[in-house]
Amino acid sequence: MKLLRGVYEGPQSYGIVRVAASIGGVHTLLRALPGEAYFRTLYGARERTGAMAPVTLSPMREGPDHSMAPGNLTRDLSSVVRRHPKAEIVILARSEAALLSGEAIPTTLPQVEGPGIPPQLVTFPWEQPGMRETEAAELALEDLIHAGMHHRPERSPYPTVNIFGPPIFGPGAAAEYAEAERLLDMIGVEVNARVPLGANARDLGRLQRAWANVLLYREIGESATLYLQDEFGMPRVTTPMIGAAGTGAVLRSVGELCQLDPKSVQRTIWAELASTAKLPWYARLEPPETFQNRRVAIFGDFTYPIGLGYALAREVGLEIIACGTYLTHLERDFRFHAHTFTEGAFVEDDPDRVATRIEAAKPDLVVGTHLEEGVADSLGVPFLPLCPPVSDTPFVVRPLMGYAGSSVLADTLDKVLRENGREPAGEAGMQWTTEALQEAAAVPLFLRARARRLAEEHARSLGSAKVTREIFLESR
Amino acid sequence: MTILNESGIPDVLPPLHAVNDLAQRLPDALIVVAGTQAEAHLVQSLPAVPSPNLPPFRRNQRVIFAVLDPDDPPQQGLLASRIVESAAGFRGTRLVLLVAGRAAEALGIDAEFETRLVARKLDLPAEVVNPDAPREVPGILSTDLEDDVLAAMVNLCPKRKTSDLVETASPAKRGGLFGGFLRRGTETSHSGGGRPVVLLGGALSSGDARVLAAELSRAGVEVAGSVPGSGIRELPPLGEGTVVGVMDPNLTSAATAAERRGATVVKTLMPVGVDGTARFVQDVAEEAGSRTSEVVRARSAWEDLGVLRNRIRGKRIFFTGDTGFEIPLARFLADAGAVVLEVGAPRLDRRFLAAELQALGPDVDVVVSPDYRGQTNRIDESRPDVVISSPGLHLPLVARGHLCRSPRDFLEAGPYGYGGARRILELLVRTMERAEALDSLNL
Repeated sequence: MKLLRGVYEGPQSYGIVRVAASIGGVHTLLRALPGEAYFRTLYGARERTGAMAPVTLSPMREGPDHSMAPGNLTRDLSSVVRRHPKAEIVILARSEAALLSGEAIPTTLPQVEGPGIPPQLVTFPWEQPGMRETEAAELALEDLIHAGMHHRPERSPYPTVNIFGPPIFGPGAAAEYAEAERLLDMIGVEVNARVPLGANARDLGRLQRAWANVLLYREIGESATLYLQDEFGMPRVTTPMIGAAGTGAVLRSVGELCQLDPKSVQRTIWAELASTAKLPWYARLEPPETFQNRRVAIFGDFTYPIGLGYALAREVGLEIIACGTYLTHLERDFRFHAHTFTEGAFVEDDPDRVATRIEAAKPDLVVGTHLEEGVADSLGVPFLPLCPPVSDTPFVVRPLMGYAGSSVLADTLDKVLRENGREPAGEAGMQWTTEALQEAAAVPLFLRARARRLAEEHARSLGSAKVTREIFLESR
Repeated sequence: MTILNESGIPDVLPPLHAVNDLAQRLPDALIVVAGTQAEAHLVQSLPAVPSPNLPPFRRNQRVIFAVLDPDDPPQQGLLASRIVESAAGFRGTRLVLLVAGRAAEALGIDAEFETRLVARKLDLPAEVVNPDAPREVPGILSTDLEDDVLAAMVNLCPKRKTSDLVETASPAKRGGLFGGFLRRGTETSHSGGGRPVVLLGGALSSGDARVLAAELSRAGVEVAGSVPGSGIRELPPLGEGTVVGVMDPNLTSAATAAERRGATVVKTLMPVGVDGTARFVQDVAEEAGSRTSEVVRARSAWEDLGVLRNRIRGKRIFFTGDTGFEIPLARFLADAGAVVLEVGAPRLDRRFLAAELQALGPDVDVVVSPDYRGQTNRIDESRPDVVISSPGLHLPLVARGHLCRSPRDFLEAGPYGYGGARRILELLVRTMERAEALDSLNL
């Protein structure tokens, strides 16, 4: 048991539904308590397209089932098939409450009269309570690809790749795919399928046409691409496509795997560096003092902290004082990659402890998920919500990957580093009385730095050189 | 009025979403949500998305998640000691609420035991709130958690019989946590000359109980206090002899809890709209022993609303149903001249809402347990002027060209009393005017 102030990941069912809702022609029946049906609302609020989420609830009800109201799994499954004749795959996902109830689930779809081919039912026997969103999403994607493979299509006559990117709700997810596709197109490689976001159920059966898999978002696509590599010998490119160096590396690897002329790939890269990619340009324009001794703490999933960490450390020249992930199951890989640019790699899934780590690192800039906003605020340093989960739902999404993404990153950095660029790094330390320090120790960790800052500001406004217990209490 | 049961899947925001708002409303409470990752994620992610159809984002530091490990459920008493440890970090905690539903139960948490332990160790009141507890009438409303929390608060009110209140007890007995307002309660019951009145509700927007207390005071009835009021220290005595006026239509559990303590819950209309307020004031005053007539007041209130009523006369309104407030809102709007096409009621307690249902106009259809897909089709067919929609349907309906407003907007605006009636109509008129202005643009 953990006492937390927030969670980075949702439960396994949420991960499964995120992947399923990203793929066209897939409908999910979610077995859950009547009070757990929030995906539709979240989908509406986040996507803001006006489309209804392809998810139906099968509510678990207490007591004997006498009525014809929804709640009977078999009946609810046939109702989904009837109501969604275009669905090619029907998924049965279970919430943690449903898993804890231990009820058995059907493994075949009930027969439903109607035109067209009946959909396929996909269930996940590995679901268990306590499993996290990302891990479940990864496994679900692999299972869906298994389910979609009915025959083995021929390899395409011209070079093609599959893009494995983030699912819906990822920050700027659609823009990441678009940027990757644009760049691949420029080096002469066609995209066979975007998985999961933008794919449809039929695409899942045609993945083997591609010559290679480009893994933009490892958190979700790892198992699926490994399966395709082992089973069909499809090579994969796993470098995060973040920053100009990362993007160049991906394009060169793809070029090699697709047997393209390396010189032509390099020419495209140079052309992009000259026209689109502004991060290297920004790094050269700014005087070194802008970045010198500026410390950054990064926290998030896997791809974004690693990719951003590398780009900020190597391409920009900032000091990555701490870099962490909440994905505990990827700990080894994360540490391995993070060590290439920071000594401060850590793995932690308690927002309070993350806050303590970041506070202790005394950064000048915090890059993180929406849960880190409070820490940055309490430290009084700028904050960039660039790692999922984020709470922003902009109408126009901007990529962070690829060359266009590197320019977005340059703009973002330019704004926050310029705003705070000329300030002295730290105020002259103010003295605290022992009683005031004792009071401050009672403040929850999360809020301590903010409380300290407010107290010092209050003391200064009163013209006091010391923070006393009274001043501290007044300032809260 | 016809009541149909559609036996469908209603679109209702999960009641747990309200935890952050409640923490805001009860500033001296520490709220611990015990469950799995799912509960914590729900509470955190729904309000984290800024959206016009969701409640505003107010993350609260006084909400803590006890995320249980299904493979290693905690031993008895461990949850309590962890809560005690974290309560130490908060100054001024006067109440601990443990929100523990089906998942916590399945993992063997004895929530009652843990709260008793917390209460003993911290020497503070602690209560369990079970969002998944079976209710007498099936179905859920998005405001169920408010109801459950208010029921818990009712149980925390000092339990005094009126006769005890009138007698002066020894100050030592009156000391402790509730001493201060007990005395106040005694005084008001004296000055009112009748039975003490307690208002129950207004959990969604603060200051609403004051509006009604002022109305009642005009009618010669002093209100001893309200639940939740402005915090645990201000809870009025509630027990035998107390008259309870229920402000919100979703408070079935809280009203039952008050009845169980021997209080008289006045069965009348909710104080929403002109007639609702008039009947509420009249009936509560009568129960408290003060005869009054609100007829003149109500008539002049209706006259004041003349211009606004003209604007909404004949407008067709569809309520998809989510909070439970739709029924009194529909009643008032129908009285004001609008045409109410359908009122969705994910849960309908006919006994509790008997007065409301009787007062609904003859042409209003109430659909119990409505199916959101069926509703969408009916909305598409009938093309109402305004849809008062639940959050899950809001965007899809707007995308289909319907004018939508969230029932929460009415609650935020403060729907109670005669002033509230005006605010309800103004909000609706504003919505339609803006839509007309946008429609007239040549895009």
